[in-house]
Amino acid sequence: MRQSFFGLNIAVSGLYTAQKNLNTVSHNISNASTTGYSRQQNIQSASKPINTFDGTGMIGTGSEVTGVKRIRDTYLDFKYWSENIANGEWSKKAELLSEMETTFNEPSNSGFTKIMDSFYSSLQELSKDPSSPAVRALVRENGVTLANYFNTLATRFERLQEDINDQVRVTVEKINSLGDQIAKLNKQIYAFELTGQAANDLRDARTVLVDELSKLININASEVKYGKLPNGEDDIHFVITIGGNNLVDHYSSRKLVLDQRDIRLNSEDIPNLYNVRWDNGNELILTGGELKGLIDVRDGKDGIKGMDGTTATPSYKGVPYYQSMLNEFVRTFAMAFNEGYRTENGVLIDGVGHVDGFGVDTDGPGPATATSGLRFFTMFGEGNIPISSDVFIDGAVGMNAIKAQYQNITAKNFTVGLDVMSNPNAIAATNVPGENGNIDVLNELLKLRSNANLFTEGAPEDFMKSLVATLGIDSQQAKTFSSSQITIVKQIDNRRMSVSGVQLNEELADMVRFQQSYKASAKMINTMNEVYDTLINRLGVG
Amino acid sequence: MRITNNMIIANMVRNISNNQQRENKYQTQLATGKKISVPSDDPVVAARALKLRTDVSKIEQYKKNISDAQSWLSATDEALAAIGKVLQTAREKMVQAANGTNTVEETKAIADEIKQLRTQIIHLSNSTYSGRYIFSGFKTDQKVMIDDETDPDFGKFAISVDTATRKEKIFYEVGVGDNININITGGDLFNSQDANASSRDLAVAGNTASMIQMFDDVIKHMEAGDFQQISASLDTIDAEIQNVLRVRADIGARQNRMDLTEDRIDNDFVNFTESMSLNEDIDIAETIMNLKNEENVYQASLAAGARIIQQSLVDFLH
Repeated sequence: MRQSFFGLNIAVSGLYTAQKNLNTVSHNISNASTTGYSRQQNIQSASKPINTFDGTGMIGTGSEVTGVKRIRDTYLDFKYWSENIANGEWSKKAELLSEMETTFNEPSNSGFTKIMDSFYSSLQELSKDPSSPAVRALVRENGVTLANYFNTLATRFERLQEDINDQVRVTVEKINSLGDQIAKLNKQIYAFELTGQAANDLRDARTVLVDELSKLININASEVKYGKLPNGEDDIHFVITIGGNNLVDHYSSRKLVLDQRDIRLNSEDIPNLYNVRWDNGNELILTGGELKGLIDVRDGKDGIKGMDGTTATPSYKGVPYYQSMLNEFVRTFAMAFNEGYRTENGVLIDGVGHVDGFGVDTDGPGPATATSGLRFFTMFGEGNIPISSDVFIDGAVGMNAIKAQYQNITAKNFTVGLDVMSNPNAIAATNVPGENGNIDVLNELLKLRSNANLFTEGAPEDFMKSLVATLGIDSQQAKTFSSSQITIVKQIDNRRMSVSGVQLNEELADMVRFQQSYKASAKMINTMNEVYDTLINRLGVG
Repeated sequence: MRITNNMIIANMVRNISNNQQRENKYQTQLATGKKISVPSDDPVVAARALKLRTDVSKIEQYKKNISDAQSWLSATDEALAAIGKVLQTAREKMVQAANGTNTVEETKAIADEIKQLRTQIIHLSNSTYSGRYIFSGFKTDQKVMIDDETDPDFGKFAISVDTATRKEKIFYEVGVGDNININITGGDLFNSQDANASSRDLAVAGNTASMIQMFDDVIKHMEAGDFQQISASLDTIDAEIQNVLRVRADIGARQNRMDLTEDRIDNDFVNFTESMSLNEDIDIAETIMNLKNEENVYQASLAAGARIIQQSLVDFLH
């Protein structure tokens, strides 16, 4: 015989179930816009039936909610992380290279081409009137402008390298902090799940952190099974590795540390750049993420060996590559312009340069005021004052010794020499003192502009053209990679959202559904009430 | 695929931002008139742009050089014309003096006129172009002949101008590897008849040029009334006149060459600026069309987005 108020209890269970379902709907709606939130669903089932012995068999006892599950396809998370690594790397590279492009300021009306044009035009004008002080001053000023262009470029590159280095520091700190937070979440999740509960919202929070981390560095995240728990569930630990080393292992996280370099990697580098390694001294193996993007651009010199002769630089054309190319340009150009020396098929050859010439003889025939041995280009010395030819050459004799002196010139310190700065008459035009219509030397200097053997890339302008084109191509490549990678990541994210995201219409439909169910259960109680009323109050006794 | 609200919003935002990026691209193109603003927009166009800009700038410089060369050449031509004229006048006077009926007084009077012509030649030898002596070889700041009439060495070479061995030829660059010699040296012009073959064409400071020597000889003969010698000198002056004509013809040829080069360079300039424009300038009509198109797409995507994100079941439930 079943108990009298059984029906009422069934109705009450329906009321509770509907309420719990409505709570979950409400939770979903509230989190519709929460980043990384996965919609939740109650696991609802009919509660345990009772066996009756009057022949009816099992009788239903109502419904109950046994758990709340997170709707999520974790495969898509792993997929997202692996693609986001490349996204981070290329987005960073695209951003940095486009900054470098603006530095070059080409093609424009104030870039290298224009400046070189002006310099050579003033030399041409000088060749037509070598005795004009005004034109001489113009040549000097255009020479200064040319040198300035390189100084500015080199300084900007240095500043960029410094900025990138700072970003490396911030990124490493972010990685450490994320690792730390993930380890803490692991602990909470594990503690919850030990008791058989589902830590839905904490898992969502952890996924968001891993999403963020995967953009920064090449991680490999996995859930590792460590046997069974007493309650029969798998004992799962969440592990994140970077290049084979654990960043996060269940409850604990390891740190990346920054060391300032004692020895510069590239001769063009600014001092004290950061090396990143593990806190236990292990080498950090970087294969992707923003950190790799940053380090490639900061250190990249096309994979050639660094200053120590053994460490290879990243095989990427980053800041040091462009710095070294600019240095090569000014060294070669200054040497050819000053001395006439240049390398042809690997052999250093001699030619007519500025140094062999004479300036204009301002006081007529007789000893020339301008003597030979003056170099047009030298470099800044102490206090940012251009040094004289004597100081620059420093007594070096012979092609090779003089060539070695030119290694001291960099794009940053390149400038017009003190001799020419203080006396424009020292700009060499003639090869015989006192002949101020003689432009034999000037003609040689003018020929340099079209000398296709000056650089491996060709004439001076070809060199810069190919440098700018290289940067353009690399930057275009980074843009393309980054935009296609973004598309892939977005697509995976879309698929994730498709599975886990909250669909308001769906929730509202559910809401109506559960509301109806609630109403009906209430109605049921009402009915039961009436039944009991009839039974208790109206029947017989009174 | 199940479409969720966040997806709709994320996709809409992404698509609208893509539309805006394209709009921005065309807007920038229209504002700058250029197809690219940074090399990575199109590295090939960028590299070509740099090359063509260099080429155009070189051509512009060559145009200037050509016009300066032309000015120098025409200044030389004018000086040569004047010298030729003086020599013609001198020849007429000599023919007049060579007539045996002249008295010594008469030939002396003619000699005075010839002296004036000689002075004129000496001054013409120091012709200048924008303050530079055109017949002084490389020493353009110095006179080729001493033209101070009080100087005992009046009419002698003031400087040495070497044409034979060192070639004091001034070259202007009028094309890549194309240099034109724009000057005539004093030796070449005035010293054609030097007896000493090794010093022919050579001006040596302190020496007298053959043309001036001819004048000196003629004046001497006229003052002596030696009409036979004067008559014999006619051959010498003819040779000098011939020499001036030769030099003038040479200058004329160079002027022709400059005119032709100028034509060619003008053509090059048009061609190169055209290639430059084709390479880097936008087709405005096409770009405006593209911009308009993108504008429409943008408007449509905004309108559609506004409709889709507003409405949900919420709006219909009471």
